[in-house]
Amino acid sequence: MADSDEEYVGSVTDDEDDLQVTRTDQIQPRKRKQRGGGEWELARTWETLVEGADGTISSTVEGLLEASKRKRLLKDTTPLQRGIIRHVILIIDLSQSMAEKDLRPTRYLLTLRFAQEFVREFFEQNPISQLGVMGLRDGLAIRVSDISGNPTEHLTAIQELKTQDPKGLPSLQNGLEMARGSLFHTPSHGTREVLIIFGSLLSSDPGDIHQTINTLVTDKVRVRIVGLAAQVAICQELCSRTNRGDETAYGVALNEQHFGELLMDVTTPLATQKQSASSLLMMGFPSRTVEPTPSLCACHSKPSRGGYLCSRCGSKVCNLPAECPSCGLTLILSTHLARSYHHLFPLMNWVEVPWRRASSSACFACGLPFPAVPPEDQWSVTENHAKGMSVSSRYQCMACKNHFCIDCDLFAHEVVHNCPGCQSNSVQAVADGMDTTA
Amino acid sequence: MNSVDASEHYELGATDLAPSLLTVVLDTNPHAWAALEGSLPLSKAVANILVFINAHLACNYANEVAVVASHTTKATWLYPIHNDDTSQESADPDGDVSMNGDDAAAPQTNKYRPFRLVEEQVTKKLKELMDSTSSNDLRGNTSTMLAGALTLALSNINRRTIAWAEEHGGADLEDAAGDGGSGGAGAGAGAAGTGPGRYSASNDDERLQSRILIVSVSGSSDSAHQYIPVMNSIFACQRLHIPIDVCKLSGDAVFLQQACDATKGVYMALSEPRGLLQYLMMAFLPDQRSRRHLVLPTRVDVDFRAACFCHRRVVDIGYVCSICLSIFCEPPPGNDCLTCGTPLDVGDFGSKPALIPRKKKKKKRVNGTSTVGTPMSTGTPTPGPG
Repeated sequence: MADSDEEYVGSVTDDEDDLQVTRTDQIQPRKRKQRGGGEWELARTWETLVEGADGTISSTVEGLLEASKRKRLLKDTTPLQRGIIRHVILIIDLSQSMAEKDLRPTRYLLTLRFAQEFVREFFEQNPISQLGVMGLRDGLAIRVSDISGNPTEHLTAIQELKTQDPKGLPSLQNGLEMARGSLFHTPSHGTREVLIIFGSLLSSDPGDIHQTINTLVTDKVRVRIVGLAAQVAICQELCSRTNRGDETAYGVALNEQHFGELLMDVTTPLATQKQSASSLLMMGFPSRTVEPTPSLCACHSKPSRGGYLCSRCGSKVCNLPAECPSCGLTLILSTHLARSYHHLFPLMNWVEVPWRRASSSACFACGLPFPAVPPEDQWSVTENHAKGMSVSSRYQCMACKNHFCIDCDLFAHEVVHNCPGCQSNSVQAVADGMDTTA
Repeated sequence: MNSVDASEHYELGATDLAPSLLTVVLDTNPHAWAALEGSLPLSKAVANILVFINAHLACNYANEVAVVASHTTKATWLYPIHNDDTSQESADPDGDVSMNGDDAAAPQTNKYRPFRLVEEQVTKKLKELMDSTSSNDLRGNTSTMLAGALTLALSNINRRTIAWAEEHGGADLEDAAGDGGSGGAGAGAGAAGTGPGRYSASNDDERLQSRILIVSVSGSSDSAHQYIPVMNSIFACQRLHIPIDVCKLSGDAVFLQQACDATKGVYMALSEPRGLLQYLMMAFLPDQRSRRHLVLPTRVDVDFRAACFCHRRVVDIGYVCSICLSIFCEPPPGNDCLTCGTPLDVGDFGSKPALIPRKKKKKKRVNGTSTVGTPMSTGTPTPGPG
């Protein structure tokens, strides 16, 4: 099209120039729009495949795998003040729209399964936080489990939901009001959050939901929603209002994996908003005791031999973290605190190593041999065929300058939260320790 | 029929023989070993540990072992050695054989090969490590790089677990499902979501069984700056269901007690270090599957008290900054957190014990007889919210 037009320009006379200009202007935007639409519609995954020297695509496939592994790693590692002590209400949509089968096996069952995973992961990541579970069914908000710090209670409560069927219509307003009520008494130093898994496209409310949103904003409750069907305007408004205009709090699941991903994102504590109060909390660090004869615990009145004695009043509780039932002191293990430190002192991202600096022969941590450095003229061939992935399969910690493989990179950032290189070298480790304690 | 029989036999064998990977973290802190010289010199201890490793290797032909040294200045691998150059050197009878002398060469040929490889490499690397330690390194440095050693051990366990899973291609391969299953652009979408599930062991029986044994001699007082990294490693172990066993020859380490408690490992402080081998064989040899049927020698009273960040005092009741979770033994001066600098509200903790007001009680009693029913009806909702 464009070519023929230009030829035509060459042949036109001077009087027709104006007309010509307008015509090209019309054509070009339309073309661009078409192409843009195409890119949005489909990712041409097959076009990124490049045959390797041996005629197979295995190297490219491996590269893509590596890139995808790494994609989830590259998150912001600037240390932020995060609300480590969280109070979260999980609201699950239990209305008839959850019986849809667009997510396998059904939205309902998948949601309950992911909800259980979420509870487990939540307490793994936030050991000193509190969680409560609610449901939206038949236009009512129902209480599934009370706010507590004990994951097993929530898990069994969610498990029991599996025997029931989703029915009726959901009411966002009722759910939010109930969540607000249960979060009302939580101390101001913790965050108040609501996570809604919402499968419906409507909300049948008894009153004006906008007023509810206003009260949520004044109560500093932050709402995050994972939608299962399509984006709903009221959800969007709800999330952005309660999160100070942050649009990322509302996500709609594209498929099963994306659904899980959206849920698991919530397990990372949010960065604190300026207004949240910081305070000094008094906490007891009890030691475990085992008595020769069973005695009643103060929390459940059940006879047991083992337990923890409150460091202030000496009552026995059977599980930690807990609040002492008699004197109200927060009882906690120092390990619970330590488990949250990696949110506060995250491990820096490692950088890709170009062939130029690929001097190492094996991964520092696990000893996996790296591919050998090819001759210099081949460097550009393998360069940049997948984003976020290192051409030389090496990843470098900027602090200790050691090289690691992709699996160790993932493992160090997702599980251990330590750099094997920095911790293995005295000078670096001391400096690192100074950083974290200073 | 034949094929059915064959597959059945094969599967029986495969499920029975899930091998285990033992990682020994050997604390080689020269200060502490010097103090132990009278009862158990390092050379003897290493000999004992090697016998123990051989016993582990002999339990199952597929069992694997790894040895990490946690030295004062660095943590390093003793076995396996990943660097290609050194492995070629050791294959070449150069420094190694001459060190052992001629008389040692003859029995070596009759030794089970895995035993010999471990023994040669461990002694060789340990010697290299000791030779490379200068007196300057030791001056004023009495701690050990436990965090580094644990992190290295965990990285290796991760690698071996992935490799083993790939080789055996079992049904429970969360790694394969996460990585290989959607081999294309779609893989990225699932990656983060499956992340947590990937690492929480789904079926312990069918995967490589890993455990870590720490032979520890140093006290923990010097390694306070390693607190966070050590704790991070411990939580990683807990998440991966890797028990940490601790064989404590001298000193006492609070971290390690907590590590054993959190990961359900065995903690033993040896009263008689000379009997190291016997302790190792009796307490630490059984793998996870056998341990389910054994009564384990574990401590019941674990010290969970925390050390405050300001004076390093061990506290029962402390003050915790709600922002950075630092622990203080008393409200910090100026009410600013010493770690993150946030100004903190200090509540009046414990100054007023909660008392039930008397007057109300009396009033209730007046109505008591007539309203027995009403307190009941108001009483029932309370357990719900409470």
